[in-house]
Amino acid sequence: MRWGEGTWANRTSISSFSGELVFTTGMVGYTETLTDPSYAGQIIIFSYPLIGNYGVPVASREGFPNVGFESRKIQAAGAIVGWASPDHSHWSAQTGLMEWMDAQGVGLLGGVDTRALIQWMRERRRRERASVLGLVQNADLEKPLTHFRDPGEEIIWPQVSVQQAQYLAASDPHAPTVALIDCGVKWNIIRQLQARGVALWILPWDTDFAEWFKVHPEVQGLLLSNGPGDPERAGPLIRNIRGFLREGRALQFPILGICLGHQILSLAAGARTERMDYGHRSHNQPVFQVDHGQIASTRGWLTSQNHGYGVLESSLESGWSVWFKNANDHSVEGVRHDEQPWRSVQFHPEAAGGPRDTAWILEEFIRDVKGFTRGGRP
Amino acid sequence: MRLRGKKVLLLGSGGLTIGQAGEFDYSGAQAIKALKEMGAEVILINPNIAAVQTDPGFADQVYFWPVTPEFVERILIEKKPDAIVGGFGGQTALNCLIQLEEQGILARHGVENWGTPVATLQLTEDRELFASKMREIGVPVPPSGSAQTVDGALTIAGRIGYPVIARAAYALGGLGSGFAHGPEQLTAIVTQALAFSPQVLIEKSLRGWKELEYEVMRDAFGNAITICNMENFDPLGIHTGDSIVVAPSQTLSDEEYQQLRDASLRIVNSLGVIGECNVQWAHSPDGLEMYVIEVNARLSRSSALASKATGYPIAFIAAQVVSGLSLLEIRNPMTGTTCALFEPAMDYLVMKIPRWDLTKFVGAHRGLGSAMKSVGEVMAIGRSLPEALQKGMRMVTENAWGLLGSNAFAEYDEQRLEAALEEPTDQRIFAVIEALRRGWEVSRIHSLTRIDSWFLARIQEISEMEALLRKKGLNLDADTLRRAKCLGFSDAQIAASLSSDRWDEHKVRAMRLKSGIRPVAKRIDTTAAEYASPSNYFYLTYGADHPEEMGDEKPAKHNATVLVLGGGTYRIGTSVEFDWCAVSAARELRDLGIRSVIINCNPETVSTDFNTSDRLYFEELSLERILDIRDEEMGPDVSEISVMTAMGGQQPNRLALPLERAGLQLLGHSGRTIEMAENRSLFAQALDEMGVAQPLWTEARSESEISQFVEKCGFPLLVRPSFVLSGAAMNVAFDAEALAHYLRAARAASPDHPVVLSRFHRGMREVEVDAVCSQGKIIACVVSEHIENAGVHSGDATVRIPPSGIGTGARARVLEVSRQIAQKIGLNGPANFQFLVSEQGKSAQVLVIECNARAARSFPFSSKTVGQNLARLATRVVAAPESMSLQGGELRAPDGRFAVKAAMFSFARLPGADPVLGVEMASTGEVGCFGRDEAEALRLAFEASGLKRPRKGILISAGREEQKMAFLPVLGVLRSWKEQGMKIYATPGTAQFLLTQGLSDVETAAWEEGQGAQTWREVLRKKQVDLVINIPKNFRRKELSLGREIRRTAIAQGQTLITNEEKAVAFLGAWGADFLTKMKE
Repeated sequence: MRWGEGTWANRTSISSFSGELVFTTGMVGYTETLTDPSYAGQIIIFSYPLIGNYGVPVASREGFPNVGFESRKIQAAGAIVGWASPDHSHWSAQTGLMEWMDAQGVGLLGGVDTRALIQWMRERRRRERASVLGLVQNADLEKPLTHFRDPGEEIIWPQVSVQQAQYLAASDPHAPTVALIDCGVKWNIIRQLQARGVALWILPWDTDFAEWFKVHPEVQGLLLSNGPGDPERAGPLIRNIRGFLREGRALQFPILGICLGHQILSLAAGARTERMDYGHRSHNQPVFQVDHGQIASTRGWLTSQNHGYGVLESSLESGWSVWFKNANDHSVEGVRHDEQPWRSVQFHPEAAGGPRDTAWILEEFIRDVKGFTRGGRP
Repeated sequence: MRLRGKKVLLLGSGGLTIGQAGEFDYSGAQAIKALKEMGAEVILINPNIAAVQTDPGFADQVYFWPVTPEFVERILIEKKPDAIVGGFGGQTALNCLIQLEEQGILARHGVENWGTPVATLQLTEDRELFASKMREIGVPVPPSGSAQTVDGALTIAGRIGYPVIARAAYALGGLGSGFAHGPEQLTAIVTQALAFSPQVLIEKSLRGWKELEYEVMRDAFGNAITICNMENFDPLGIHTGDSIVVAPSQTLSDEEYQQLRDASLRIVNSLGVIGECNVQWAHSPDGLEMYVIEVNARLSRSSALASKATGYPIAFIAAQVVSGLSLLEIRNPMTGTTCALFEPAMDYLVMKIPRWDLTKFVGAHRGLGSAMKSVGEVMAIGRSLPEALQKGMRMVTENAWGLLGSNAFAEYDEQRLEAALEEPTDQRIFAVIEALRRGWEVSRIHSLTRIDSWFLARIQEISEMEALLRKKGLNLDADTLRRAKCLGFSDAQIAASLSSDRWDEHKVRAMRLKSGIRPVAKRIDTTAAEYASPSNYFYLTYGADHPEEMGDEKPAKHNATVLVLGGGTYRIGTSVEFDWCAVSAARELRDLGIRSVIINCNPETVSTDFNTSDRLYFEELSLERILDIRDEEMGPDVSEISVMTAMGGQQPNRLALPLERAGLQLLGHSGRTIEMAENRSLFAQALDEMGVAQPLWTEARSESEISQFVEKCGFPLLVRPSFVLSGAAMNVAFDAEALAHYLRAARAASPDHPVVLSRFHRGMREVEVDAVCSQGKIIACVVSEHIENAGVHSGDATVRIPPSGIGTGARARVLEVSRQIAQKIGLNGPANFQFLVSEQGKSAQVLVIECNARAARSFPFSSKTVGQNLARLATRVVAAPESMSLQGGELRAPDGRFAVKAAMFSFARLPGADPVLGVEMASTGEVGCFGRDEAEALRLAFEASGLKRPRKGILISAGREEQKMAFLPVLGVLRSWKEQGMKIYATPGTAQFLLTQGLSDVETAAWEEGQGAQTWREVLRKKQVDLVINIPKNFRRKELSLGREIRRTAIAQGQTLITNEEKAVAFLGAWGADFLTKMKE
């Protein structure tokens, strides 16, 4: 199929790029989305046709460092849009979308019937039970690209994780410390935790946490971050967490997994993940809480989501329960341990972009962290 | 069926007025459907006879009564409902609900309020309570204060600093609101506001800020979602009903979007809203500062728009929510599979453009501000802003030129153009395009208008394309053509912009099709294609190149498809009654197993509901677009397509001939028949040929013809253009100067069709026949009569069935002439005839005024009175004549049923407009009520239309001698009212007359000061009267200006005003002596 010959065909100077095709139906938040490391290696198709209207914000606004960005650079392999705004109008804007992408060396293709492309891709993914790979190239180029990049085949985490452990102090010297395993963490997770007054250790994705924990006894909680890729390929990470879960049973040590972190925690606990037919790619996914297999209440929440793999309910080991489910397709949206403060969610309680309705999950995690004392149950 | 056995009373919104229009027909109709699907028995109170929701087949029982606590209580006693629902009937229903609670009526009858608690409603309506609640939950409100007096208001304004905005409490659509730059302006606004509201709020002006709205739904379990956010194209300062609005927001970052969303949810949660709620915001264009402006805890115009914009059926779901369901339990009907607890994603944008009819109101001010003036709106869907904006401007302006069609500012010098940009008016968008045409920078236009530069840059793209086309002339290439289409240009606009006579709309279309440039259909599915959806809701766009796969709808039984054209924007003359006609047609087609496709662009309608037709195109009612849709619909499954143009009023009717010429089959009247009826000259000739009497007429071609005719007939003369609805540019000329003026206006209104001049008869009765015809034969018809004598537009008149004011002879003659005309011009479908009747003894003179070869405004009234849906019948007659008997004749109201239809006016919202009735229509809506006798029907209809029975006093100014004489039969009513303590005031001549007729103690109200008695001004200002009857002696401008001040003052004071003698007499007579005696007993 050929795309992008529409009247609004415009593109950045980088005109050839390849990656897994994914989409998002979020209508705002394109800078957050493009810089979200979960999209590393992926080409994002924006279903909302007008992208770039409010430009790209200044990197550091006083009091709001890096708001609008989820990592230090554009992580996506490229973007496909209906219409990329040639100008922008916003008080916070420093530059335009196209200029920004050019400067970062990431390609954008405009003028595409993104609705039709998403429909085609969605059905193909379901039919073939496989990721759909995309290759965008400039037809005038003498040597066209031939290689379809598949980030799902890659051990992608080294590209998005910190290389060395970093410590982020809290303003209060007595604040508890949380370790965060960075599989491609969104900055808003860090911002949200910092805003709640904790100090942070940001650890490389393949840190042997059980060992590290022994030399950092001050740490009172663990957060497994979001990130890109097929979780089943994150072998070292899964093994490390599995080891820690085994050793940490006596501790009642708080763990929270988000998105990929949720999948990693589930895999470490013996569950399986699988590629979903459609995935969830929007800011409007409804979830509800489950208690002993029943709908826990008449309450539901809207969440921001971006994932193509999911945890299989039937594969959960005993001792673990489904915590949240998706109200549309009833897929697993969160799991929790029946006795330990180990929890994880498939969605993004930190939002950015998208609704912030489940920020209470971060609150609860911090409450657990603050209540944690070495030596297990008081 | 969780509501089985439950009885629910739903409050309607009454007749349409500015600020409360068709959106409540849509929301009420959906609520009824939802409640009935859950098994409830639904009782509806709503005097809106033209509404779809008051049709049989919706509610189990309908009371055509005024929506007031008194009447609601009667229903509570009679029907003992379990619950009452007030969130679906606009401010009228909400106010009624609040009063019912405050008066203890709900508690007394043990009826539950379903929806947002009344305490919350009171809180959102009381601006001070609301502000303090917002401060409590940390949501910023603009600095403000409230006052009960003018002095109090001035003190507060002094504290906040000018400019300030003043708003009246408990008012719909911003009535009695305005901006004040200084004490003088503030005094004027507050004086008016306090005339009908006990309290006025003064707040900091945020002119130039962004204005945003969030539509929120919350269930009883605390689940809350924002269904849609909307951004006003115009900055804060223009009522949102008068703003161009775009959804979703275009210039907000995620941070800003979520900040407003979070705060909106915090508000509805803290208020405990159950159901729908609209939250309006001001957001700084320079930072993160924001203020909440107001909250409407009910379905609103904005929620109707949000519903059509996203596809999420807000009212339908809200009805489920108020009955106690959780959003988690409810499915999204647009996907069938996903959950209602979600926020729609759009992969297109919509623009709402308001429709003003300010030129229809003599003297009305054109400035826009915080009080709403528009009478309708359209919604346009596109994949780019220029596309949506251009579509919308064509939809709303009734001509093919849309945004590019006005030269009003071409002559303006720089200074005047700057002023036109600075001052918000109904015309400002045309000033913007003019400035761009002159090459003004976006930044300069922004600094004058404060419209966001991003929006202005999009209009600049349009303007640049217009300039490029102008250069292209004959050398138009396919690439430019394609780009013009993507920027929303219509074929006709392209042809015009090419500035060469060699191009016209058809040639552009031919070139376009040859180059393969076609729009594609796209589905609206609420999820932006994340999930597959069987939705039947479509639009066309050039911003995409792959047509939607259509395969998953249910196939129709027949392979025939009928395109039903809706009425487009509501405006003076086209309102909910034509939506009723279109909905009736679609439902009848469905019953006949014929596939119906509705084309309409008005978000305030039931016809654009997802389950009204088999497929919906939310699209332009234009030749180009309908042909595009025909091409889209033609396919292997559809071999036959025809179009119904007779159901949506005059706008689709005007398309009938061009569509037929373009090869589309008309279902119903042939093009020839329509031409015969609509072309005033052809029609008049036909009547002459048949020997049927009509007022003396001439086609006003040359000056000499005109002056000959004037010599023959004398004044007054009626000037009428062809193919216009609601008497646009129709006028009565009383002298030569006025005649020349009106002729110019008529020619401008309908340049391609003849203007006819005819003798204007005064003192004759006006009679209408609504009919259904089959091949030239009337098979059903209903006769109705105006209460007012001829000269009042039929849309403004009070109408009664049966026509008790004419004799059987006249009635028989009217029917006979109708039959003759039907046969002569070959009517086949719905039709309406209008006659002048005068009787002397047994002989009746019947003159034909006009015949409309289409459904008429009066169809729902006639239909609901006689108990037979004429629009459905007309649809069956033309779509499946073989399925029915084609015999029949006059339909009459059941014995003991008397029906009266009364018009609703919105003069209070139109400062400057003269509230006097004439041949050009001025009403915005209507009500219709039934009674066991005519007086009862009159009393109900008048009360429902806002003409309340006076309690304090009456001021009468009764016009000419014979007009005064008309009051003789009702002097008894005045006398008995006076005995009950009411004061009667009259202007000197009328007072003299009343005294002579034996009515003692009539107080004279002097015209001017120093004439002894107190002046009429004092009488009105001191609120000594609550009814003003002011009858102009004639319609000459000088006479009108005399009484105009009385009329405007009465309107401004919120007093009931009647300006027509027959209507005044009917009003008084309805409270006749025998009725009053009965009341006393």
